[in-house]
Amino acid sequence: MRSPILLRSAAAAAFAAILFAGCSQAPAPAPTDTGAAPTDSAAPAEEITLTVATFNEFGYNDLLAEYTKLNPNVKVEEVKAATSDEARANFMTKLAAGSGLSDVEGVEVDWLPEIMQSADKLADLTDPALDGRWLDWKAAQATTADGKLVGYGTDIGPEGVCYRADLFEKAGLPTDREEVAKALGSTWDDYFNLGKQFVAKSDAAWFDSADAIFQGMVNQVANPFSSTEPEETLIPLDQNTQIKAIYDQIVKAAVDDKLSANLQQWQPDWQNAFQNNGFATMLCPGWMLGVIEGNAAGVEGWDIANAFPGGGGNWGGSFLTVPAQGAHVEEAKKLAAWLTAPEQQIKAFKLKGTFPSQVEALTSQDLLSVTNPFFNDAPTGQILADRAKAVTVVPFKGPNYFGYRAAISNAINRVDVDKTHNAADSWATAVSDVAALG
Amino acid sequence: MPAQPDVAAPPSSASRPAFDWRSFRSRLDVKSAPYLYIAPFFLLFALVGLFPLLYTAFVSVHKWGLVTGNQGFIGLDNYQAVLDQPRFWQGMGNTFSIFLLSSVPQIILAIFIAAVLDANLRAKTFWRMGVLVPYVVAPVAVGLIFNQMFADQSGFVNAIFANIGLPAVGWHADAFASHVAIATMVNFRWTGYNALIVLAAMQAIPRDIIEAAVVDGASRLRTFFSITIPMLRPTLIFVIITSTIGGLQIFDEPRMFDQIGLGGNDRQWMTITMFMYEVGWGNQRNFGRAAAVAWILFVVIVVIALLNYWLTSRIASSGAATAKLHGASRLLGTTKGDRR
Amino acid sequence: MSAPQMPVGMIEQVAGKGAARAARRRRGMDQGIRRPGWLTYLMLAVILVICAFPLYYAFLLASTNATYIAQNPIPSLIPQGQFLENVVRVLSADIKFWQAVINSVIVAVTTSISVVFFATLAGFSFAKLRFRGRNGLLAFVIGTMAVPTQLGIIPLFIVMAQLGWVGNLLSVIVPAMVTAFGVFWMTQYLSEALPYELIEAARVDGCSMIRTFWHVALPAARPAAAMLALFTFVASWTNFFWPFVVLGSSNPTLPVALQLLQGTYFKDMALIMAGVVLATIPLLVLFVVAGRHLVSGIMAGAVKG
Repeated sequence: MRSPILLRSAAAAAFAAILFAGCSQAPAPAPTDTGAAPTDSAAPAEEITLTVATFNEFGYNDLLAEYTKLNPNVKVEEVKAATSDEARANFMTKLAAGSGLSDVEGVEVDWLPEIMQSADKLADLTDPALDGRWLDWKAAQATTADGKLVGYGTDIGPEGVCYRADLFEKAGLPTDREEVAKALGSTWDDYFNLGKQFVAKSDAAWFDSADAIFQGMVNQVANPFSSTEPEETLIPLDQNTQIKAIYDQIVKAAVDDKLSANLQQWQPDWQNAFQNNGFATMLCPGWMLGVIEGNAAGVEGWDIANAFPGGGGNWGGSFLTVPAQGAHVEEAKKLAAWLTAPEQQIKAFKLKGTFPSQVEALTSQDLLSVTNPFFNDAPTGQILADRAKAVTVVPFKGPNYFGYRAAISNAINRVDVDKTHNAADSWATAVSDVAALG
Repeated sequence: MPAQPDVAAPPSSASRPAFDWRSFRSRLDVKSAPYLYIAPFFLLFALVGLFPLLYTAFVSVHKWGLVTGNQGFIGLDNYQAVLDQPRFWQGMGNTFSIFLLSSVPQIILAIFIAAVLDANLRAKTFWRMGVLVPYVVAPVAVGLIFNQMFADQSGFVNAIFANIGLPAVGWHADAFASHVAIATMVNFRWTGYNALIVLAAMQAIPRDIIEAAVVDGASRLRTFFSITIPMLRPTLIFVIITSTIGGLQIFDEPRMFDQIGLGGNDRQWMTITMFMYEVGWGNQRNFGRAAAVAWILFVVIVVIALLNYWLTSRIASSGAATAKLHGASRLLGTTKGDRR
Repeated sequence: MSAPQMPVGMIEQVAGKGAARAARRRRGMDQGIRRPGWLTYLMLAVILVICAFPLYYAFLLASTNATYIAQNPIPSLIPQGQFLENVVRVLSADIKFWQAVINSVIVAVTTSISVVFFATLAGFSFAKLRFRGRNGLLAFVIGTMAVPTQLGIIPLFIVMAQLGWVGNLLSVIVPAMVTAFGVFWMTQYLSEALPYELIEAARVDGCSMIRTFWHVALPAARPAAAMLALFTFVASWTNFFWPFVVLGSSNPTLPVALQLLQGTYFKDMALIMAGVVLATIPLLVLFVVAGRHLVSGIMAGAVKG
């Protein structure tokens, strides 16, 4: 009985020994560390590597290499996130953890106020030599109450109106971009009235999304969600008559007057509608041109009018910040300053359509001579520069702007896109959502 | 709760002289080995699990902004604030709705597929690998694919519906439809996976027991419910507990169901983990409240998991009792006879 | 009583005669159980089509262009000709694709091996060894799974920063080296598949605990271990948020890199779907190569009680 067991056990042990090279040896796998990029280890004293965190398209591909050419001791690596939301989540997480941020971090204007709450964690970028480089309102957005500049402006989003000349023609509207600019008039009512004329004679809708219209209108309100004198005080949404009036106006235009294509921007339905004559006009910040061109590939008739309802408007734009937790704050500042110089921003604009926020760039022949073949060879450089100059009101966006704006956006989409709520119910829900932010 | 309570515990290599060095070493081995073997898990857990857990607990009783940091102890105020938000309860409701729509059909379907795969098929490997294909598609990719398919106006599914004369469904606009769509994503990815887990357990059931039951005249169906299912108990417990825990923490699929990732304009498919994420990283940026949500969710999951465990054990063991009553012991006797 | 039989089973397990035994059993079964009818195959075929369709749909979209996708909600079931073109666009995009593949392989392989080893070790202990506090500790292990992971990101990041591992693959590998899921799975499997008699026999033979583990538990755990390895591999391969936060795009894993395909204002669905297909292909290949062993591992089954 016993010996066979022993024998077999021995055989088994031998087999196992071959398989596992012995019982006694701990077979814990040694984690092989490869591929990890060494960060300025064992480098000569002055040579450093800076990281620049971006999202979407900053257009920095060639600029970073150019900087290294100018500054041989500084290597620059770009750390990319796909979307502004991801970049924001990453930024917040690492700011909360107290480490891990890139030397230079790109920040979008809509969440800049949130991180300005902890301005002490960002380097002060104030530099007399750079005074006046940016449009006043752009610089003001990144300046704290006590006068500290925390971000260098990169791009802005001056808005015109993009339109389908072919659909306009079929509906008996003018098609030439100057005539269209005139026909659009100057107020939002003018814009909606032209829309009513259009939809009466066309199957297409007038605009893509009611929420996009809200974006255009809210960006013309100086104090959308809070009063700033003497310091920021939030206005409870149920007492915010200004915003409620805009909401009512949009809902009426979108639902009652049927001007809306009932789409939500960035969703597949919206994307597909470009190929299906879904709508005739769109509010058009500079960076939107590339979006339309991509989505509407093969569609002929897009053009851009040098006009915007209700005066000028700005949608979006970003900044470069320098987190104080970085190891090379001074070098990072220099890099951020260089990247946001007019010459560099014009290069980025030509590459990816990010329109410069620098005063000097707006008069640069290099920029003004840009035309866009997809938009019927429109002089987009000139038009957008004009649109940038037309921006007179820039809303104050406090740390709660993001949350309030999102609540209204949801409210409009519930009525316009989902059609699950009527205007009054949806507004009431927004009021309750905003109350929960506290 | 050992699976085989009637079998003797592990041997203690007894009955040797008390001062035997080998015996002492062996006893030490027996005493210490169990702890040594589970030690790696607990050591790692202390580093990457326990610290975050305690940190979160600490945060949850403080006023703590994501970027502004700790602003002082406030007791249970965060818990109170969270429980007062209608969106919290909506998130709970959505989570349970999606959880039920996914887990129940999924487990039934998984057992069914496993039973089919357990048959004496030709090209077994092919079929078995086939059902696991969805599992290798990343959740993010599943989200992208299904988001495109379930688009409300121009999607694949509604286009098919239109072709066969059905009305279009608001897969994103309608709350229940969105739950169905998300549950479909979940079921798509996980059913085959659970089927193979159940299959592995089915394969571990001695064939002779089942065959003996069949020989004894029990119908296939009866054999399946009276013998196979009870013998799957440990595995079913595993599947149900893990899918409860996973299902109540569902995040990736609903988050990827649209481009924005907040759960819809009326938060109609916002799950509780998405709510937590929104409270922490989104509009409220309130790390303290997010931590409170995490702990509430933790407690809920533990309670539901225990409830499930209790239910599963009861169902499976009452099945086992039936099997015994109907002669399982005799079957086992036959089996042993066969082996000799 | 059954002492003479047990070592045979054990030796077969250890010596890897599983295949032969399985074949014997299969032959035996072939005579006992008849092959199922066409209805079974029809059902399986339907299941398989449902399983494969979304991926095929992704491939169909990846073989077209964005305009085609927008114009045709129901794509032609025959792939259009632009798949390779889209693949080239993915590969030439500025997303460090190949580095991402290598990183993903390193992380997935290391964590798979490590999880299988440590989880089997712990599972053996929980399932088959009696010790004080066993039930409590097991419940604790399961309980750890109920902690929502999203929130752990910040404290975990603090830990990684303290260790100086941010941006290093270790930060993704080490936290995943042993999982509660794996321990639970192995415990449940071994509690059923590993008879006490086998352990007893090994112990009577004078095997130490660790030898018993090597020679008895590990072989018996092979089918479940194969599945656990696959689960771990896939989980690691598809993990996005933590690698995104801790590694970033400069040293990415595959999902982090592919996500960047969406980093343009205009979302080119054909390009994104090509990325989806490309990211899935390595797993499918692994699946075809290892899946055979994996699934036959499951078929070989454990020791029969």
